[in-house]
Order: sequence, then C-alpha cells, then structure tokens
Amino acid sequence: MSEKVFTDATVMSGNRNDEDAIVTMQGVYKRFKDFEALKDINFRVGTQEVVVIIGPSGSGKSTLIRCINRLEEHDDGRIVVDGTELTMDIRNIQEIRKETGMVFQNFNLFPHLTVLTNVAMGPRQVRNMPKSEAEALAMEHLTRVKIPEQADKYPSQLSGGQQQRVAIARALAMKPKVMLFDEPTSALDPEMINEVLDAIKELAQEGMTMVVVTHEMGFAREVADRVVFMADGEIVEVGTPKELFDNPREERTKKFLSQIL
Amino acid sequence: MTTWIRRNLFRTWWDGVLTVVFGALSIWVLWSLVEFVLITGRWEIIEVNLKLLLVGRFPAEQLWLVNASVMAIAFWLTAALGGKQAPDAPVRSPLAKFGGFVQRFGLVIALGILLVVLAGTQSSLAVAGGVVAALLAGRGLNIARRRVKGLTRIPGVIWQILVLSPAVALIALTLMNADLELWGGFLINFYIAIISIVLCFPLGVLLALGRKSTLPIVRLISTTYIELIRGAPLFVLLLLSGVALEFFVPPDIAPGSVFRAVTVFTLFTAAYLAEIVRGGLQSIPKGQLEAGKAIGLSTWKITFLITLPQALRNVIPAQIGQFISLFKDTTLAGAALSIVEVLKVSEAITKQDDFLGKGYIYESLAFVSLLFWVGSYVMSRESQRLEKRLGVGQR
Repeated sequence: MSEKVFTDATVMSGNRNDEDAIVTMQGVYKRFKDFEALKDINFRVGTQEVVVIIGPSGSGKSTLIRCINRLEEHDDGRIVVDGTELTMDIRNIQEIRKETGMVFQNFNLFPHLTVLTNVAMGPRQVRNMPKSEAEALAMEHLTRVKIPEQADKYPSQLSGGQQQRVAIARALAMKPKVMLFDEPTSALDPEMINEVLDAIKELAQEGMTMVVVTHEMGFAREVADRVVFMADGEIVEVGTPKELFDNPREERTKKFLSQIL
Repeated sequence: MTTWIRRNLFRTWWDGVLTVVFGALSIWVLWSLVEFVLITGRWEIIEVNLKLLLVGRFPAEQLWLVNASVMAIAFWLTAALGGKQAPDAPVRSPLAKFGGFVQRFGLVIALGILLVVLAGTQSSLAVAGGVVAALLAGRGLNIARRRVKGLTRIPGVIWQILVLSPAVALIALTLMNADLELWGGFLINFYIAIISIVLCFPLGVLLALGRKSTLPIVRLISTTYIELIRGAPLFVLLLLSGVALEFFVPPDIAPGSVFRAVTVFTLFTAAYLAEIVRGGLQSIPKGQLEAGKAIGLSTWKITFLITLPQALRNVIPAQIGQFISLFKDTTLAGAALSIVEVLKVSEAITKQDDFLGKGYIYESLAFVSLLFWVGSYVMSRESQRLEKRLGVGQR
C-alpha cells in the first residue's frame, strides 16, 4: 500500500491514465539565480484530495504551490492544472488562476475596500457578474466562514483570524477547483489559529481539493489524505499521515519530525 | 495654569531663555504686522486697483461669467466634498462643530469680507451673497443626497460628475467667450493653475505607470521624459516656450501665451507628479499584486482597482504639495511670457501716476502674498481632511 501511494505521488510517465488529477507536476525545476529552489518535482493532486506539504523553512514548499498558479514561473518540466498546461500564454495563466484559489500567510486583503467588496472582487471583475449577484455570492461565502456581520467593515478593523477567514471566502467566491494554502496560520496569534484551521477542515469535509503548506502537524494528521515531506527543494517522502508521522522511512524525515515533535 | 507654564515654558533655565527670546520675537513680529496692516499700510492702492489685481482688463460686461464660475466652484466644493463622517467619528458638541467650521472656512470668509470691503460696491456684495448661497445650496444638496431615497441610489461617480458639471461648463464658456489677451490678475493665475492641475494629473499617473511598465520602449520614453523635464528649471522652460515656438510656427497661428504657460506647467508638473506616484506604487506591498493575480485579475485591473488607488492615497500630501507649488509658480509666467498675471499687475500699479516713487510696492506685494497664502492654506487643509477621510480602514 505504501509503495502504491508513493508511486502515485511522484512517479509519472507521459499522459498515463490520470483523468481525475487536478494538479500534475512533472520534472519541475525552479531556480533563483544559482540557487535551485525546486529539483525534479513530480507531484499530483487528485480530485477531492487534501495534500499537506511539510518541511523545514527554505525547503521549497511555498515555491512549489506558488508555481501552481504561476506566482512563480517554473524553469523546467510540465505543470498541468485541470487539463490546462501552464505556458507563457497569458490566457492559459488567467484560465488556471480562475480555477485555483489561494490563501496567503499575510492574508493580503485589499485594505482600501470593505470586506464585502474584497470577496465580491473576483466574481465581479473576473467572472463579470452583475454587482448585486456578486455581492450576494460574497455574502454567502462570508456566511460560510462565519463572519457575515463583518461585511461592511474594512480589513484593518478585523482580527487576524477574521481577516484570514475573509481571505478564504475571497478565494472560495471564485468557485475554484483547487484551493492552495500557503502557511495560512503562520502569521496568526496562537488563540486565532484554530478558527482558521476549523474553516479549512470544514472545506475538506465538503470535498474541496486542497494543497496546504503548514507547520501545524496536528492539523496535517487529522485532515490530510497524503502528507508530502520536502527538504532542499526535493520531495523526500510521501505517505498517508499515519505512515509518514508514525513510520517515516527516510532519515531526513525522521530527523525533521524529531526536531519539531 | 501656573503648573502648566512651569512645566512647558520654564522647566530648566535654558527652556526659560528660549521661551523669553522666542516670545519676544513673536510679539515683535506680530506687532510689526499689525502696525503695517492697520496703521502704516496705505491700502488705497489696492482699493483703487482691486479689479485690475483680480481680473485684469477683463471686459466688465462679461464679468458675470467669472462670478458665476466662482459660485459654481463654491457649489461644487460643498456638494461633492462636504461631510460624510467616518463611521467611528465621535459625536461633537455644537461648539466644537462651530470651531471646526471657523478653522476650515474662517480664513476664506475673512478674505471674502476683506475683498468686499475693499471693493465697496453693491455688485461685489451681490457676488459674495451669491457665493454664500451657492455654498449653502451645495451643502443642502449634499445632505439631501444621503437622506432622500431617490438620490441615494445615484452612483457616486455620476453624482460627482453632475455637481462638477456647472463649474466645468462655466469655465469652458468663459474660456471660449472672453478674449484671452485681455485677461489678467489673479484670475489668470487661478485658471492656469486649475487647468494645469486637471491636465497634469492623468499625465503624471500615466508616466508613473509607464516608468514601471514591462515594455522597454514605454519605460525608456517615460524615464527619458521625466528625467529631461526634471533636469530643467521651470523658468527656462517657460522662456523657451515663449521663444522656441517662433522658430517652427509662424507667429499668426502660434498659440497664445496663456496656452503656452498651461502647456509648460502641465508638462513640468506631470514629471514631478510621476515620481511621486511611482513612489506611492512602490510603497504597495507585493502581496497586493499577488492577491490580485491569484483571483485572476488582469494586470490592468490590478493596477486600476488595487495598487493605484492605494498608491494615490498614500501620496496625497506630496501630490497636494506639488499642486500648491504649481499654483504659486504661476507668478513666473508674468516675467517669462509677459502674461499680465497678478504679480505683474502688482508691480505695474505702483507705477501709476498717483503711486509712482512712493514705495507702494510693499502694500502691493503684501496683498498678492495674502491671496496666494489663503489659496495654498485652503488646499493644504482640505488635503489633510481628504487624507483623514480616505484613511478609513487603513492604519
């Protein structure tokens, strides 16, 4: 079993029967000047799958998920999202960004717009929805993350946890096929971490496909279908939470886990 | 009270010395000023030449156009900019409200009264009354807009255009009807400044965006333009615009000097504005751009919906500073292009038979300074208000 999961995740040749994959990466390299941030990444996310990426800082976790929606440009290899390959073609990039929602470490809400306008921005400006319809949709998603009463406030008037939930609602309002979370709780005060994690867990239960970069091991254990351990720009080991946390095979994984647990 | 004085003015012997020295200095300056204004100043030169100073030889039968424009601008000020309170603003007592009103409008009202007194005619009183009526009408409409149901539905942009349109229409009408060569006085400084500000703003923003463009050609052109213009003194550019054009265009179809002045002020200020706006754009965190990209916004939409609005708001003080400087620099147009603007008039009137050789230049310049000071002060105050209001939600 463990062998099979490992194969699924990392070894991919050609266009092998892979219809339910939403994200596939094949032999992806990313370099910043002389530094190789990603080395030969083979990675796959299936429909309704929750993949959690862990690893020491500087290991390339964030770079990996930022390549999926082209916030970073990969130098080599192929990335296919929902059947569209990421190339230099700006239309492809826009198409993929419509289908991927992203939540950032620092929320990155638009400070000059109200919470409601923040969430309605995507549907209104990208999907060209009429204003009233976009705002109704935004309200629906604010209710989903349990802060409809904050709709008319500005981001700075909210707590960090509330801001991050608005950011989640903003990403969801685009009805994405996959959600990317880049350390969503790292900038939060400890008492606010759980409200954000709960919102993410709920999404997982509703069947949202997700890639989550996080340091919250308890969360990873509870929610992940697969956990990916990265170090030095490489995927070192992939497995179910049980396999990876309780029975790591690689030395580097063991060392990392012993340091944080 | 005594403790306050002890603490703030005489805490140490050195503080005491500073307090005494600067206190004496302030009293002396203030006294000289009062003495000049009330006792030694010979203001008849202003009284006699008030019309010349304000509008030059503008034809009397068309003066209603200017008066109506001033009223329309007053109407716009209160109708468009007046009062929506920040949602968390504290409730203020009537006294505090009155204090705020005096702080905001007191200077302008005082200047208005001064002008009416100096003019001493009934028509000037009528104009002042008209301005007050326009201010009140604008204020009333502004309140109605937030209370009356039908009006609340009008989108903000359309509202702004509606209340601004009378002023724009009247200014345009004035420009078309009146003979520009007869214009003069403060009116021409005011119009050159207003028109240049309106024109240089979009140009400056475009240049700033151009300098940050990913297209090398656009970047090169913008950067060259900005650095060339910023490297030349304004006065030289004004002189050049007066002389250089004659080489290329026959004099009879060459544009008038006011047109040239507006062009130079626009092009000049745009270059400075571009750098200010670029600074604003650089102050926006990269995460804003990434968040925009992540929800699928196009580059244009990210610029105009997300980064530019925040950037412009961050640099309001610097922008207004540039506009104030433009407003005051219009006095250079007199020397460089022989435009009969207020500074030129203020010099010319001291050479009239009645005043020649009696040192009236002090009174004359003092009056001009007062006009510019009030104008600049109002701009700076209103910009602070604007900043505070737009600052809602950003800390």
